[in-house]
Amino acid sequence: MNPLIIPLSHVLMLAALLFTAGLLGLLIRRNVIFILMSLEVMLNAAALAFVGASAHWGQTDGQIILLLILTIAAAEVAVGLGLVLQIQRRFKTLDLDVVSRMRG
Amino acid sequence: MENLPLVPLIPFVSAALLIATAGRLPKMVVGLLGAGSIAAAGLLVLNIGIEFLRDPTPMSIHLWTWISINEFKPAFAFYLDGLALVMMSVITGVGFLIHLYSTEFMQDDASFSRYFAYMNLFVSAMLILVLADNLLLMFLGWEGVGICSYLLVGFWYQDPANGAAARKAFIVTRIGDTSMALGLFLLVAELGTLNILEVAEIAKERWEVGATIPTIACALILGGGLGKSAQLPLQTWLPDAMAGPTPCSALIHAATMVTAGVYLVARNHELFMMSPLVMSAISIIGVATLLLAAFTALNQHDLKKILAYSTISQIGYMFLALGVGAYSAAIFHLMTHAFFKALLFLGAGAVIHCLHHEHDIFKMGGLRKKLPVVFWSFLIGSSALAALPFTSGWYSKDEILLATWSVPTLGPWLWAGGIAGAVLTAIYSFRLVFVVFWGEAKTIPDKQPGLRMSAPLIILCVFSIVGGLINMPLEQVFPSQTNAHAAGPVAWITMTIAIVGVLVSYLLYLRQQINVEPILNKPALKKLRYFWYSGWAMDALYDRLLVRPYKLTASLLKTELIDRFYNLIVESSVASHRALSITQNGKLRTYAINLVVGIALLAAFLTGIV
Amino acid sequence: MTGTDFLALSPIIALAVGASVLLLQIAFLRNLKLTTGITVVTFLACLFFLFYITKLNHQTTPLLLVDPLSTFFSIVFVLCACITTFISYEYLKNRPGRNDEFFLLVVLATMGSIVLTYATHLASFILGLELMGIALYGLIAYPHQDDMSLEAAIKYLVLSGASSAALLFGFALLYAITGSLFFPDLLSGLASPEVAVGPQSPFWARQLILLGSALILAGISFKLSLAPFHMWTPDVYEGSPAPITGFLATISKGAVFAATLRLYVIGEFHNFPTIVTGLTILSIISILVGNLLALRQENIKRLLAYSSIAHFGYLLIALIAAGTLTPNGISAIEPSAYYLAGYIFTTLIATGLIAAISSSNNEENANLSDIAGLFWKNPLLALCLSVSLLSLAGIPLTAGFIGKLYIFQMGVEAGAWLLLSILIIGSGIGIYYYLRLIFSMTTDPSSSRSTLAPALPVTVSLITLTILVLYLGIYPQPLMEYLLWNT
Repeated sequence: MNPLIIPLSHVLMLAALLFTAGLLGLLIRRNVIFILMSLEVMLNAAALAFVGASAHWGQTDGQIILLLILTIAAAEVAVGLGLVLQIQRRFKTLDLDVVSRMRG
Repeated sequence: MENLPLVPLIPFVSAALLIATAGRLPKMVVGLLGAGSIAAAGLLVLNIGIEFLRDPTPMSIHLWTWISINEFKPAFAFYLDGLALVMMSVITGVGFLIHLYSTEFMQDDASFSRYFAYMNLFVSAMLILVLADNLLLMFLGWEGVGICSYLLVGFWYQDPANGAAARKAFIVTRIGDTSMALGLFLLVAELGTLNILEVAEIAKERWEVGATIPTIACALILGGGLGKSAQLPLQTWLPDAMAGPTPCSALIHAATMVTAGVYLVARNHELFMMSPLVMSAISIIGVATLLLAAFTALNQHDLKKILAYSTISQIGYMFLALGVGAYSAAIFHLMTHAFFKALLFLGAGAVIHCLHHEHDIFKMGGLRKKLPVVFWSFLIGSSALAALPFTSGWYSKDEILLATWSVPTLGPWLWAGGIAGAVLTAIYSFRLVFVVFWGEAKTIPDKQPGLRMSAPLIILCVFSIVGGLINMPLEQVFPSQTNAHAAGPVAWITMTIAIVGVLVSYLLYLRQQINVEPILNKPALKKLRYFWYSGWAMDALYDRLLVRPYKLTASLLKTELIDRFYNLIVESSVASHRALSITQNGKLRTYAINLVVGIALLAAFLTGIV
Repeated sequence: MTGTDFLALSPIIALAVGASVLLLQIAFLRNLKLTTGITVVTFLACLFFLFYITKLNHQTTPLLLVDPLSTFFSIVFVLCACITTFISYEYLKNRPGRNDEFFLLVVLATMGSIVLTYATHLASFILGLELMGIALYGLIAYPHQDDMSLEAAIKYLVLSGASSAALLFGFALLYAITGSLFFPDLLSGLASPEVAVGPQSPFWARQLILLGSALILAGISFKLSLAPFHMWTPDVYEGSPAPITGFLATISKGAVFAATLRLYVIGEFHNFPTIVTGLTILSIISILVGNLLALRQENIKRLLAYSSIAHFGYLLIALIAAGTLTPNGISAIEPSAYYLAGYIFTTLIATGLIAAISSSNNEENANLSDIAGLFWKNPLLALCLSVSLLSLAGIPLTAGFIGKLYIFQMGVEAGAWLLLSILIIGSGIGIYYYLRLIFSMTTDPSSSRSTLAPALPVTVSLITLTILVLYLGIYPQPLMEYLLWNT
């Protein structure tokens, strides 16, 4: 029942590490490009966990979710990069702290 | 009969239209809409009435369930029986005549449309009140008429005095309404329903006659009736309410709304019969009110105030009837009173209209020839009010007084009070007629009432005379009267006592054969008269007892501790608003930190680490 | 695929066809009126199919369950999307640039909301959520010359992406333990511990399940802007074009809530006391924070954002109470569905009116001073906004009152006294700032320069919504019975 060579717990731990790394990147970075990259890391951490679990259960469901996540991540980044272009054009910077005007 | 819901709906729609158009319609259309909608409702009632009389079984129409919380499911449902039919006929019939009258009376008013919007809304709410099959819906109508009364009393709001009168009417009746609401809460808590039939049914099963809880419930509900019907001790608002336009006084403060308390008790008579104590209280309050108001009416010289006090007094008679269990007599008097009091108010309106808005009867006089239609209206109305033989008021008042006599123990005392009141009624009503229409003319009328004002007067004259012959379909609604009839002399006194009053009035005010001036001007009597004039100084009493202490407490609290507590709530809210607003600093990274911390805390909490 | 499957999917297919037609039309002929027309026709067709399948109860593949409750939600969403289209046309017609794709994105976002509502599987859930989300990024940033809308879009994209990642990671953890992505089986492994064949001992399996649930809860709380995941809401609402503020506040949130309701009930999350306690804390913080932040807010869009935080806090009470009232948590459905429908209609009136004001000036007007004197400028619309605000405050004879009464009643039955006292405090604060808006509508008309006379479809839509709100407040019985019958 367990076709996985590496134990599932190891896969999950790696995924959790990646996810945390992504979260930290989100917190530390100011540059939009790096923030988008952190997002990608977080999404792919989830995808990795799905693939690991899918292999553990011997199902294809998790792998299909991987494909979905890849698509979603691609779409999100596409829109995100479009916004980055506009931000660069309007504000002449990619520092998100500069872009913040609304408050209260 | 399925079109019963249309009866309140038509005036409501008309009111909604008038409000929505906000006075942009031409007066012609407003008049047509305002009076026409009541006419349509009236015709519908006529149709329903004919059907009902053919097959007089009560029916209820369930429209929808309002809310449903466990067992408590108050419905939007109407209940039609003889009592509802009588009330509907009075409201739409007299209501239509008053609306028709108003189209001329209010002709020159800038807020013509607003007036009719309020009036139609009132009729609609009043119809809901009398048609409701449960006390919650009735309370909706009850509050609806209260609001309309407030709006109409303060109709000419540019004068602050009118606004004050409106507020007084609203607040005083509100005291009664609060009591009524508490009574309803008690009923829901104890019986689990507010459906009128079910309440009566369950109350009879669950409670014993004279037990404490039904007595408290009845007393609380009665409080609402006393407020609305201007009975002791909540009668002080009605005379001030005369600040509104006269036709609205005729409709609301004479014919319909003020009698809602009578209707309330009659409708729930089975509940009230569970408490003999409250029933006795009702009859005693009735007699006390009718005497008090009659004395006051005798000393007033404002035309409308005399009528207002006489209304309080006549409703006193109705409460007396309710208290002694003569429900159909009470409703009978309610109906005849609606006819002749509406007639008197409309007549008074015509006098005021034609006499440059003069209210003081001692500045009028000699109008018999000048305003013949109004004169005859007043004569007939006053005769009915004084209950002269063979007028409508005579039949109903006789029924009440005879029923009172035959009540054990209290009966003769109450009867004596009623008889004294009858004499006083005859005196003050004919004092009015003699002073206004005989003697020398002090003010000359500058116009004559037109057709739309005269026609309602004439129709109401007819009803005031023959209204006593109407046979109301109330046999199924109320228990039949089994009291033995009064003995010969009592019956004779009851029937003829009014004539004595008229004679006294004739001697005092027309012939002036007995010169009472010197006696009346003695200091002691002068004080007494002033005491009566001021309505037994009730306003002053309430002012001392309630209003001033309340204002004092309020002004003390304004600066003191309790207010500081509330300010603390406000200030702490504002302070926390400021503090929270600072967190909302617009920086994406702050938001991201917040998100991450939130996730971490939630995860720690759910997995049991925290 | 059987015929019934096709029937069940017909509303989604209608939207997909509409979106394709719009793509082609924009490629060949740019015409805003035509685009609007096609969009409206698409929504009407979708509504037609939705009404056709109101009684259908059919599991179409493991992905989607078409049942009357979700169909009811979908009808509400598509109706609101249709009204948003009218409002958007009014908003866009005088603005520079090519505005046709706006409607394409609206159709796609609506499609996402329906997929989300029907979802019974993680795949469809994520697909619906992201279809809606990505279309919304585009819509928020649509007026790209506007600094504020760019800022709002990038904030929403980054934070929403992070929360989606958390959501997905949480599901991955659940999947690792229980081996299923189908909502009804999601926690089935936990019901009988010996079946739990996770990588570790049952204790660790349970811990991982709870950790996963926490991540899912955090992700969903973000989308519903529950405190403390609420901070993005005011900025995004303020920066978005006004019609999209409405979309975000109504359809987007409503669809996420509808999906959450289903996940919560059929996933049987209410059997975990810690999750229910977590929801209670979220609810309390949301009600307090939302209402307090709204207190002195001058910008109406931000005010609505804060008030929506509080309203979803109220809604959670139904979920919290449901678990203690009925073993399967089904009693949450009727009150929360009623409340949600009332909230959506009510909020759409307010945002629609802001959009109408902004349209007439071709700028973003959402300050308190922009509605000053509205009662003189357009009494009818002022009345609509008043009804909407009174409903949000929960004044009787409006949908908001009945909804709150329902929730209150549930709280009383479940004995959740702490939550109820917080609800009362929150409503008390709420009345202040809602009435403040109404008062500012009555202030001197001369102080504000803008005029207001929106096109007929917008006026009619807003009046229709107002009548709906009043109708639901006066005559709630039919909808209640419909919802009750569905559960």
